Parts: sequence; C-alpha cells; structure tokens
Amino acid sequence: MKLLESLFPSNDFSLIAVILGMPLLGAFINGIWGRRLGKPAVKMMTLTAVGVSFIASLIAFLLLDHAAHGGEHSHTRLYFTAWEWMHTNGGRAGSVVNIDLKFSIDALNGVMMLIVTGVGFLIHLYATSYMENDPGYHRFFAYLNLFIFSMLVLILGDNLPVLFVGWEGVGLCSYLLIGFWYEHMPNAAAGKKAFIANRIGDFGLICAMFLLVHYTGALDWTGIQNNASILADNPADAYQIHLWPLGGGQYQGFFKFLQPTAPITISAATAVGLALLLGCAGKSAQIPLYVWLPDAMAGPTPVSALIHAATMVTAGIYLVCRLSFVFVLSPFVMTTVLCVGAATALLAATIALVQNDIKKVLAYSTVSQLGFMFMGVGAGAFTAGFFHVLTHAFFKACLFLGAGSVIHAMHARIHDDVKSQDMRYMGGLKKYMPYTYWTFFVSTLAIAGCPLLSGFFSKDEILYRAYVNHSISPVAAKMAARHIAIWQQPEWIGKAVYAVGIITAAMTAFYMFRCFFLTFHGSFRGWAIGRGSGLTPAHGVKVLPKDEEHDAHGHDAHDDHDDDHGHHHEEDLTVPGPAPHESPLPMTVPLLILAAFAAFAGLLNPAPLTKHLPLEHWLEPVFEEATKAGVKVAETAEHLEYPLMVPGVLAFLIGLGLAYAVYVKAEGKPAQRWAEAVPRLHRAAYNKWYVDEFYEATILSAVDALAETAAAFDQWFVDGILAKLSSLVVAALGTVLRTFQTGVVHVYAAAMVVGIAVISWFFVAPHAQVSTTPSPNGDYVVTAAPGMGYSYRWDADGNGEPDKPEFTDQTSVKVHLDPGKELKVKLEVTNAFGRHATVEVPLNRPAAQNPMELGSN
Amino acid sequence: MPVTHYLVLSSLLFTIGGIGFLVRRNVLVTLMSIELMLNAVNLTLLAFNASHPESHTGQMFAFFLIAAEAAEVAVGLAIVLALFRIRRTVRSDEADLLKN
Repeated sequence: MKLLESLFPSNDFSLIAVILGMPLLGAFINGIWGRRLGKPAVKMMTLTAVGVSFIASLIAFLLLDHAAHGGEHSHTRLYFTAWEWMHTNGGRAGSVVNIDLKFSIDALNGVMMLIVTGVGFLIHLYATSYMENDPGYHRFFAYLNLFIFSMLVLILGDNLPVLFVGWEGVGLCSYLLIGFWYEHMPNAAAGKKAFIANRIGDFGLICAMFLLVHYTGALDWTGIQNNASILADNPADAYQIHLWPLGGGQYQGFFKFLQPTAPITISAATAVGLALLLGCAGKSAQIPLYVWLPDAMAGPTPVSALIHAATMVTAGIYLVCRLSFVFVLSPFVMTTVLCVGAATALLAATIALVQNDIKKVLAYSTVSQLGFMFMGVGAGAFTAGFFHVLTHAFFKACLFLGAGSVIHAMHARIHDDVKSQDMRYMGGLKKYMPYTYWTFFVSTLAIAGCPLLSGFFSKDEILYRAYVNHSISPVAAKMAARHIAIWQQPEWIGKAVYAVGIITAAMTAFYMFRCFFLTFHGSFRGWAIGRGSGLTPAHGVKVLPKDEEHDAHGHDAHDDHDDDHGHHHEEDLTVPGPAPHESPLPMTVPLLILAAFAAFAGLLNPAPLTKHLPLEHWLEPVFEEATKAGVKVAETAEHLEYPLMVPGVLAFLIGLGLAYAVYVKAEGKPAQRWAEAVPRLHRAAYNKWYVDEFYEATILSAVDALAETAAAFDQWFVDGILAKLSSLVVAALGTVLRTFQTGVVHVYAAAMVVGIAVISWFFVAPHAQVSTTPSPNGDYVVTAAPGMGYSYRWDADGNGEPDKPEFTDQTSVKVHLDPGKELKVKLEVTNAFGRHATVEVPLNRPAAQNPMELGSN
Repeated sequence: MPVTHYLVLSSLLFTIGGIGFLVRRNVLVTLMSIELMLNAVNLTLLAFNASHPESHTGQMFAFFLIAAEAAEVAVGLAIVLALFRIRRTVRSDEADLLKN
C-alpha cells in the first residue's frame, strides 16, 4: 500500500491514465487493425483492455479508501492532470478560468468507475461469445471499448468541459452501436433518433456550462462548489434571469400592453438547475426526451445491456449527484426533478405492461427505473438515487444479458430477428436453459423489489425518502429578511410522489413477472412458428441435408441477425427446428456473477435492517453539504420507516400474484380478455401512448415545414435566380463566342497577330495622364503617370509655351493658386519612339466662403 | 556595318515567316515558318549584342532561343506525326478537332 501510494501521489494520480488509456488503446487497435488481427486477437485485446482497466480501478479504489480514512471523513479527491487545455476569462471581472484536461476520483465516481469497468467487463466477456459470427466483430469491440472509454472520461472528468467530452463520446458510441447493423433501416433510424434526442439534452448542458462559468467563474467541481452559493444568494438584478419581459427591457409604444406589472424572473440557481436537468433528461431518458431509449434496444443485446445498465443512461443521475450542491439551491428545480422522475417512472411502466418484445419490456423498465432514480435525487436523497444506479446496473445488465441468451436460443431455432424476441413465441424455456432461467429469476425478483434482494433496498429507500424528505431553499431565511419570496415546495408533493412510486412498483413487479412467466414458464410456443406457415420448401429435395446443416449451425454458431448468412431458414421450417438450448459458458458466467450481485448488492445499504450503512457512510462526504443545506427530513421519519415499507412489499406481492394468476394459472387468457374489453386503451398503451406520433405531429412537422421553406427558397431563389440566371447569361455569351471557335490554327494565329498589333500599338503610342493632389493652402501637385521610355515637357504657368524647350525626366510640377483663380497645366509626353501625346489639366480653387473653417484645417 | 541593316534583314525574315505561318496550310511549312521567325529574332538579338560587345545578354538569349526551338520542333513534329496518323493529312485546316 505504501509503495502504491508513493507511486501514485494524490495530486498526480496517474493510475487514472491507465484506467482511461486501456479501453482507448483497445478501441484504437481493434478499430485500425482488428480486421487483420483475427477474432482471437480481437477478443484478447478487448477483454484485456477492459480487464486491466477494471483491475486498475480496483487498485485506485483501494487507494482512495486508504486516503479517505487517513483524512478523517473529509471529501477526498485524487487528481490527475493530463495536460492544460485552455484558459479563458471568467464572467466575473478579472477572473481566469483554467480548463484543464483534468481527472479526479472521489467517493462518488470511484463507485461509478467500478460499475462501468466491472459490469462493462462482464458484458464484454458475454459479447465475445454472443457476437461470435458477426462480420463486424472487430468493429463492434472497437466501438464497445470506445464506449467504456467515453463513459470513464465522463465520470472521471474533474470539470464540466471534460465531462462534456465524455458526454458527447457516449452519445457518439451509442449512435454507432445502436445503429451497428446499419444495413437494417430501423436500426439506423434508432441510432439517429438516439443521437438527435441526445443533442437536445446537450444543448441544455452547454447552456448550464455557460451560466455556471458566467456566475461562478469556475467549471471544475471544487470551484463550482465554492462559488455556488452566489447563484441563489444574490438578489441583484444581474443574478436574476428575466423570463418576461425578455432580457429585462421595457416595452414602449404599441407593445406597451406586453409590459408586465412586475417582471417575472427566476434566480440563476433555478436557471442553471433547469438547464442541467434538460441535459440529464436527454442522457438519462426522462420525459420529454425518453423516446430514444426504448428504440436503443435495436442494437445488439450486449449493447443494450451496456447502455441500459452500466453506462450512458446513468450519466444523467451521475451529473445530478455530482452537482447536487447546485440543484439543492433551488427547491423549484428539485421539485421538477422529483416530478419528472415520478411521471417518467409511471408512464414507462404503463407502456411496459403490454409490450410483447422481451427487449422492449426491459427497455421501458429501464426508463421507469431511471424515473425512480430521479425521484431519489429529486427528493434530495442522493445516496438513495445513486444506490439504485448501482443495484440497477447489476440486475438490469443481468436481465438484458439473460434476454440476449434467450434470443440467442430462439434465434438458433427460427432465425428471425423479430420473432425471436417476441415473448408470444417463447414459454417453457426453463427446461432448456436452466442457468439463464435462474439468473433471470433472481434479477426479476430484484427489480420487482422482492424483500432482501438489492432492488428492494434501493427502491424502498427512494420511496421512503420521497415521502419524508422536503426540499427547502438554503437561502430562504436570508431572502425573507429582504422581503424576497422564494418558491417553496408544497407539502403534499412528496406524498403524491410516494403514491405514484408505489403504484409504479406494483406495475414493475407485474410486468417483470409477466415477462418472466411468458418466457420461461408454461409450454414452449416456439414450435408453432415456422411450421404450417404455408411456405412450401423451395428446395424440397434438400430438406434433410439443409436441416442437418441448420442443426449444426444452430448449436454452436449464429448471431443475432441473419442477413449476412446468405441462406434463409424460413424455408425449411416445415420440420421443427432444434430445441432451444443453453448458451455457451462465456455467456452464462457473466450472468451468474451479475445475478449474484443483483441478489446481494443490497447489503451495501440495507437501510431497514441495520443502521450500519457502508454506502451511505462512504458517500456521505460527497453529499453532506448539499443535503444539510437543502433537504429537511420530517421529524416523524424514524417512526415512518417500517410503515412506509409495507405498501412497497405489498406492491411487490400484488404484482407477482397478479402476474402468476394471469400468466401461469390462466395461461394469459385474462390478459387477452382485458385487452379486448378496453381495446382502445390497450392499443394506446401498446403504441406507447402515441408519444412518438405526437412529437411527429408537433415538433417534427414544424421543423419539416421550416426545412421545406428553406428548401423552396434554395430551389427557387438561390438555384432559380442566382444560379440558373447567371448560368444562362454565361451560356448565351458562350454560344456567341463558340461561333468564333473554328478549330483552325490559322484563324487563331491571325487573331493572335491582330491582338499583338493592338497591344504593340498601346505600347508604341504614349499616354499622357496626370493626377492632381490639392492641399488646403492652395498648392497643387500635378504628377504624370509613368511609362516606358517617357520623357516630359510641362507648361505649368498656363501661358501656352513650354516652361523648358526640351523634354526632361521631371514627373511632377507644383503650382500655387490663389482663391478664386484658375489655371490650365499642360503636359506633353514623348516616348522612345519619338511619338507625342498631350493632356491639359484645368485647376481652379474655389473662393473662400468660410475662412474660419478653412483656417481650422 | 550599322545595326540597321541587320534589323531590316531580320524584319524581312520575320515578315516572311509570319506570312508563311498565316497563309500556308501545310503543317510542316508552318513549322518552318515558325523557325524562320525565331531565327529572325535570333538575328536581332545578335545584332544588338554586336553593337554592345561589353555585354553578352543577346548571345545568351539566342542560345536559350535555340534550345527552345529544338524542344518546340521535337514536340511539334510529334504532334504532326500524331495528326497524320489520325487524319491522314498534314493540312492544318483539316485539323479542327478543337472546334466547339
């Protein structure tokens, strides 16, 4: 330990370079040489990169722990400055903002770093097997490593610009990976959607950065924290943002009716918080920007696991936790976060209830769980929210990888991308794939909130906190003394959010067990697909051999999509294909590890069981100040802990029981009856409440209309008038000139001779030109234009006779004129050929009308 | 001998070359006319040089011109050969591929 500490001092903690560098190196090598290296080498490279990164993270974590305990419960950070990036002047006079490529590890991102590299490694291991037969193997792992790198930059960055680099990096990687099978249109579209939805969020983040640097004069965590109080504390006009009238101006004249009696303003803290929230909503898929995440499951399943669990979507929660001291400054922002979280959790859960695609259920469940996390941080329980990030990483990764395993098995049978993900064709898989079954079961229990599993502890903590916590403005008392009212969070909001949370929890349990029972219980419905589909085998004779080939192929080698195989398996499904089978070892081992974590990670913070809370204690220095200032905990909280747990457990039991009754006992018949009873409601939920269509109709069509206007302008004005008209003129000229173009050399030569003659004449004939420079006192300098072999003869006194009889080199004369007089200066020029030219310059000076003015010159 | 005589001879040669270039249609004759004009220029240069014996500029330029002529003839004859192969003619008014 001593050795390590001397190797990596806390202000130059270069181990971070290893953590960051390895995935980047992996991405680089696989991206550039992957195709030539071959699969085993690619596999080796990618696993080594993330594996070494994980081990380095572990060591860094241990060192951090050591340093934190040495420093007696203070907020310990280990810094590493890669290089100086830029300096800029801050918003406040004279301050200089240093923006370095600087990274730091503290309690919060130390845990994040372990999740990203640890879960990331398991997903990589899984993917090496899952993607076995994909032609883009090396490309996939290059992207995957780049994803890990970007996420690490995001969480380890010590200031907002560095975080933003990672923020954009994960956006790019998600685009690349969601659209990994880019030949398939919906995938490419989903990638684009993720990219664009994220850009809207990025706009918010950029605005927040500008505001922060303007108000606090800093962009690194410590600097922002030190100066954050100024955001809420200062009632001066400069620290208010005018919503109306815009910019705090005055409306005059006709627009006077727009002038409000009192200006509507928000504090800088609220503005920064809302802008940050927009950024977080984009990345963490909250209303209104959640629409990209469900589509993001279009990519390969390991990607979904990576995006949904370990990276990317947690970035928003991370940022809220990171800048918790900014968020708590404004109760309005905290309440908004809370409500957005609750609404997202509920909305996504209702959609997840009726989806048939196994990955879609999980995708909406992610959106819903992210809502829970936002509820946690919005209630000021940053530890609880972050704890849910941690547990969610384990069980959601396990669930997605389990779903991948199921799809892998189904795909082996039917080779149809859509049908192999459809739960209506699954069922009874318990028999065929025990490992997947048990790990999926554990994770389902965890996410549904089964007592004593990880999801229960984290979710329960969030709900409890939402009920008992109350956001207050840290500066309310100070402002009240100055007669400035600050928006306060109403008492009932916490309780309403708690109720919504309980309902959502019940829904979560129901849809997760629906998914679980449909997939693994009952009888296997997959036999029905393919058989009797009306397709006659195109090569009837070959049915048997092809079937054998299919069998062999199906058992050890196939990938998620089939397009590159060149042979289509629908044809030979007249005979039942092979039974689904368990996935190979590299896929089941990560499942087992993740399931173990999903079960036991709750013990990191088992609030209801014991007062010894390792995670809470560990993160306390990070959130201490924020929670102390901005969160009031109800006095009755102690007594409420167990009573508030009861509805949570009940929600789990009701969800589980209902799902069991409907999908196991009655084999899904009641669900069908319900759907038929309220067909429109069912259809609306199935179609995700038509949110996409709503966006399509409002925002997208508005943008489209704008684009069409611009295109019309471009086509008619720019192309039609500017481009076409000028080209028409050129073409007409060309038509005329073309008649002269005979192609006969002699004609050209003759033209040349004529041209030479004209130019020669120009040089042979002298040109007498003069320029006159007057000055206010009546002096005029007349200068002759120079020419080859010229000599000059002047008549400057205007008497008609040359001043000197011979020609000289004198190129200018100076004459003086009194006011009101005029004079003709004559110049004669002769050149080397003895030819003459003459020019006369009349000069006249106006009579002085205003001597004063002239004199002043 | 005054330089004027040379200049008169040179301008005569140049005029003959120029007229030949403009009126004759045979590409070979055209090339020869060009040579004639160039040599007229050479003659001028040398004549001026002879009247200013302290500098060698005129001679130097004459050498450069001779080198340029040699290169021009090499290229020109190659073009003539190519033209003959394509068109089976050495008449320059029939070589109007550049038209329009």
